[in-house]
Amino acid sequence: MNPQLKGIETLAGTHVFDLAASAKALRLNRFLHGLTVPEQRALFKGDPEAAFERARLTAEESRMVRELDWAALIAYGASFFCLEKLGRVKGVSNPEMVAGFRGESLEAFLKTRNVPGAR
Amino acid sequence: MARIIGGIGTSHVPTIAMAYDRGKRDDPDWAPLFKGYEPVAQWLTARQPDVLVFFYNDHATTFFFDHYSTFTLGVGAEYPIADEGLGPRPVPPLKGHVGLSRHMAESLVNDEFDMAVFQDLPIDHGCHSPLTMFWPPAPDWPGRIVPVAINVLQHPLPTPLRCYKLGQAVRRAVHSYPEDLKVIVVGTGGLSHQLNGTRAGFNNTEWDMKFLDLIDRDPGELTRLTHADYIRLGGTEGAEEIMWLAMRGALSDGAKKIHQNYYLPMTAAMAVALFEEPA
Repeated sequence: MNPQLKGIETLAGTHVFDLAASAKALRLNRFLHGLTVPEQRALFKGDPEAAFERARLTAEESRMVRELDWAALIAYGASFFCLEKLGRVKGVSNPEMVAGFRGESLEAFLKTRNVPGAR
Repeated sequence: MARIIGGIGTSHVPTIAMAYDRGKRDDPDWAPLFKGYEPVAQWLTARQPDVLVFFYNDHATTFFFDHYSTFTLGVGAEYPIADEGLGPRPVPPLKGHVGLSRHMAESLVNDEFDMAVFQDLPIDHGCHSPLTMFWPPAPDWPGRIVPVAINVLQHPLPTPLRCYKLGQAVRRAVHSYPEDLKVIVVGTGGLSHQLNGTRAGFNNTEWDMKFLDLIDRDPGELTRLTHADYIRLGGTEGAEEIMWLAMRGALSDGAKKIHQNYYLPMTAAMAVALFEEPA
């Protein structure tokens, strides 16, 4: 156990991206990271199933990406910062992704914010 | 000799860049953010630094988890603006100070900080989202940078104390460089926010204010906290504010905070603090 993270397991609703998560989701995160490359982005936009196949995503990984199931993706071990690439490509803002993690609609989440227009 | 004349702590939320690129200066939702950076921009214009040393993090853009370094020093002459999924921002490539960065690599490694180095790679919003607020290109950047990327994404992260000590080693490196250069150190990230789990959207303004006080007055207290403490107090992603400790470690004990701004419009608390070394 990393002594710097002692006690973190008692913090509810939190995923710590550590080496176990990184190893588990490496293939998925590599696919998401690849969306920074214009050719890979174009393939995903034009033929997502072919992009999933080329990245050798499992059926469940493909489903989560296809359906933009943000809560499942982050629980699975996707790095938020890799998901952020997917958000940009799909035109989904960070607040909308955060609402997804919380299991809320964007509208419900924005009601909890100080300046809902700042996005 | 080169010397450090001041420091800046700043958030690096990507929407800071978006607000700048879309010209939101007079938009009421964004005006408080722009206003908060104005004194920093004015101070830099008055002091005319040559180089900004940036403690920042990459967001799995340039670097990926197949090989993830703890501390990585940029030693290039030019850094393209990274494509983070929408194409690069419409700002010029960043210019590196090769002489200072090579000297820093040698000094740090001989000082037992075994840095990885990178060159000819793009840099993402972790560095340049706040940069345009206080050092805008007009039309080119006013000076050069030396980027120091820190792993705050994949645990185990460097400890808060290690980040502070890195800053101290960077101070020794800069102050032993023979060329007359005015250098500013910048630490980016934070403040409170969390971007995963049902706790996503967490903020803690009380902690943010305490952090802004301690980073000035008693950074030693901040080095004694664990990552778990930072996560509990400021969220999983808020823990990246350990990069401010590297900035603070590169300043002298006599440096004083002369300006700060805090704005929490949406998901991440956006703060900026300016530190000045005694003349």
